[in-house]
Amino acid sequence: MNALHFFKPELLWLLPLALLPFISYGVKQFSFPGLEDWPKDFISNCLRWGVRSLAALTLAALIIAAAAPFTEGGTVTRVGEGSEIVIVLDRSGSMSEALGENDHSRDAKFVSKIEASRKVLLKFMDQRPADTFGVVAFNAAPVRVAPLSADRELAKAALQSAEANSSGFTALNRALAMGLDYFNNRPFTATRLIMLVSDGDAVIEKEDREILKNAFKQTRAKLIWVYVHAGVEKNILDSVIAGENEFISERHLKEAEMNQNVAMNKLFEELDIPYQAFEVNSEAGLQHAVAEVARMTNKPTRYEYRLPRQDYAVYFYLLTMALLGVLIWLKQIEIRAWKV
Amino acid sequence: MAQQPLIHYHVRWRSSGHQPGASHGLVAGIGDQLRSVVMLRDNPDPRRLDLRTSLRDPFENIWVHDFNLNSALKVIVLVDTSASMGYVGKVNRLHVAQEVASQLALSAYRSGDAFGLYAAGETINKQCMLPPKANRGAWLWVNHHFSKIKPQGQHADGLFEAVPYLPQKRCLVFLVSDFRWSAGKLKSLLKKLSHHDVVPVMLQDPAEVDELPKSGIAILRDVETGAGQFVWMRASLREQIADIRAQHVKIVEEASRQYGNKPFLVRGAFSSALLTKYFMERSA
Repeated sequence: MNALHFFKPELLWLLPLALLPFISYGVKQFSFPGLEDWPKDFISNCLRWGVRSLAALTLAALIIAAAAPFTEGGTVTRVGEGSEIVIVLDRSGSMSEALGENDHSRDAKFVSKIEASRKVLLKFMDQRPADTFGVVAFNAAPVRVAPLSADRELAKAALQSAEANSSGFTALNRALAMGLDYFNNRPFTATRLIMLVSDGDAVIEKEDREILKNAFKQTRAKLIWVYVHAGVEKNILDSVIAGENEFISERHLKEAEMNQNVAMNKLFEELDIPYQAFEVNSEAGLQHAVAEVARMTNKPTRYEYRLPRQDYAVYFYLLTMALLGVLIWLKQIEIRAWKV
Repeated sequence: MAQQPLIHYHVRWRSSGHQPGASHGLVAGIGDQLRSVVMLRDNPDPRRLDLRTSLRDPFENIWVHDFNLNSALKVIVLVDTSASMGYVGKVNRLHVAQEVASQLALSAYRSGDAFGLYAAGETINKQCMLPPKANRGAWLWVNHHFSKIKPQGQHADGLFEAVPYLPQKRCLVFLVSDFRWSAGKLKSLLKKLSHHDVVPVMLQDPAEVDELPKSGIAILRDVETGAGQFVWMRASLREQIADIRAQHVKIVEEASRQYGNKPFLVRGAFSSALLTKYFMERSA
C-alpha cells in the first residue's frame, strides 16, 4: 500500500478549527432560572458531547477533503503486443531501375525496384494486422507521408503514391531521423521498428552517425534494412550473413569496403543498434523478411505502466455530506422558542 | 399597568399602631370594638354613654364606652432581586414582582396603611429602600425604582440584612421571590421574621413548570451560576420536571407552615383578585 499524500497539505493547518464546536455549543441557548434541581438525564449528557463531536468531525472531514488526500497508483509491468513500424521508403532515382536478373528479353516485364518494394511492403502490411505503421518517403529530403497511427489505409495509400524521382542526392540520415522522430512523445508500449527500404545508394556523414546513434538509443528502436537489390549489384550478403550469425572473412571485408552498399551495411552495424538486413529480390526473400520481423517483434515488450493516483477526497466529501445531513436534522429538531 | 382591583388584605391580629386605619388595633381610640367601659371623666365623650351600666351603678357615676382604635397596618414588601428573578419566560418575573409591589402600595394607601419596600440580592439594595409610611405616591416610586433594578447575584442572602430595617412591631410582610434558594435559607429567614405576619409570594413561570417544549434539543443556561445544560426534551423529562416543581412548592409550603404562614403562589401574571381571595381564605 502506498503512503497517503495530500495535494494541498497546507490546508491541514486548518484542522485545529475542527475543535471550534467544543468552544461553542452550536445549539440555541435559553436562560433558565435555576438548574440545580434539573433532573439528571444521561441521554441528554451523551447527546451534548455527541452533537459537539459530530460537528467537529464534520469540520475535520471537510478540511481533509479540501486537502485532497490521494495515494500514488504505482506502476504495473505490462506486456505489449504488436509493434510500431515506420517504413522509411527510398524514392531516389536509383529505385526506378529495374529489379531482378538482367533479363533483356522483350517478354520480360519491367519492374522497378520501388514498384517491387511497394508490393512487398503492402503484402507485409497485410500479414501484420496487429502492427501500427507510419511512412516516411525520402529522396533529397524526407517527407512525412503518413503518421504513425492505426490508420492502415492511410499508410497503404501513402505507399502507393510514392514514386521514384531523381534529385541527385539521397538524404538517408535525415529520413532515418524523421522516422525516429515519429516515436518521440509516445509511450513505449511495443517493439519499435524502423524499416528502411532502400537500394543503399546513400552515405551518412560521420557527425550524423553520432546523432543517429543517440536517436536510436533514445527511442529504443530497431533497424531493419530491406535491401532492394538488382542482380548486377554486389550482394551485401556476400559480405555479411544477415542477422546475428555473421562470419566475416578478411577477403569479404575488403570486397565490402569497395562496395558502397556493403559499406552502408557495415555502417549500420557500426551504429551499435539492433540491426538486421534483408535483401529482397523475390517472393522468397519477402517471406524470409516477414518471418524475421515476426520473430523480432513477437518477443513481448515489457513496459512500466503508471496507474492513475487514487483520489480519496470524494469519500471525505461524501462523509462530510452525510454528517451535515445529521447536523441539519439536529438543527431541525432544535427548540426555537421555549414554549409548548 | 393594567387596572386591577385593590387588594383587600385582612389580618387576624391587632396592630399596635396609633395611626387610625382599617384594621383592629390594640390602643384605645375610635373603633368598632368595645374595649372597656370607663367613667366619663376618663373619656369625656358623652356620645359613647353606656346607659345600662350607668343606671346599674349605685354610686350614680356616668359610664361611657371605650373602643379599640381601628389602626393602620404597616405593609412591608421584601423583594428578592437575585439573578433568577430576571428570568423571562412566558412573563418577565421582575415585572410580576413589580406588579405585586405596586398593587400592594396602591392598596395600602387606599386602606390608610403604611407601605415600605426593601430589595436585596446578594446584598441589600440601598438604592431601593422605602421605609414604611403612608405614602400616596408609593406605587409610582415602586415603578420608578424597579425599572432601575438589574437582577444579579447567585443567592438572596441580602434579605437577612433587610430584617433590621423592618419595624420592631408586628407588620404584614410580603416576601416576593421564586424561592430558588438553597435548602434551609427560607426557614432561617422566616425565623428572623417570625414576629411579623409573613406572606411568602412565590413566583413561578409556566415556561419552567408545565409549559415546557414537548420535544427537541436545546441548551439551558442557569442565569445564576451560568452553568449550561444540554437538554433533549421528551415526555418523560417533562413529567420529571413537573414533579420536581411541584415538590419545590411543597417544600416552600412546609417551611412556611412551621411559622404559621401559607405561601401565595403566582403562576405567570399576578392577579390582585387572587391575592384578595387568598386573604379571605386565610382569615376564614
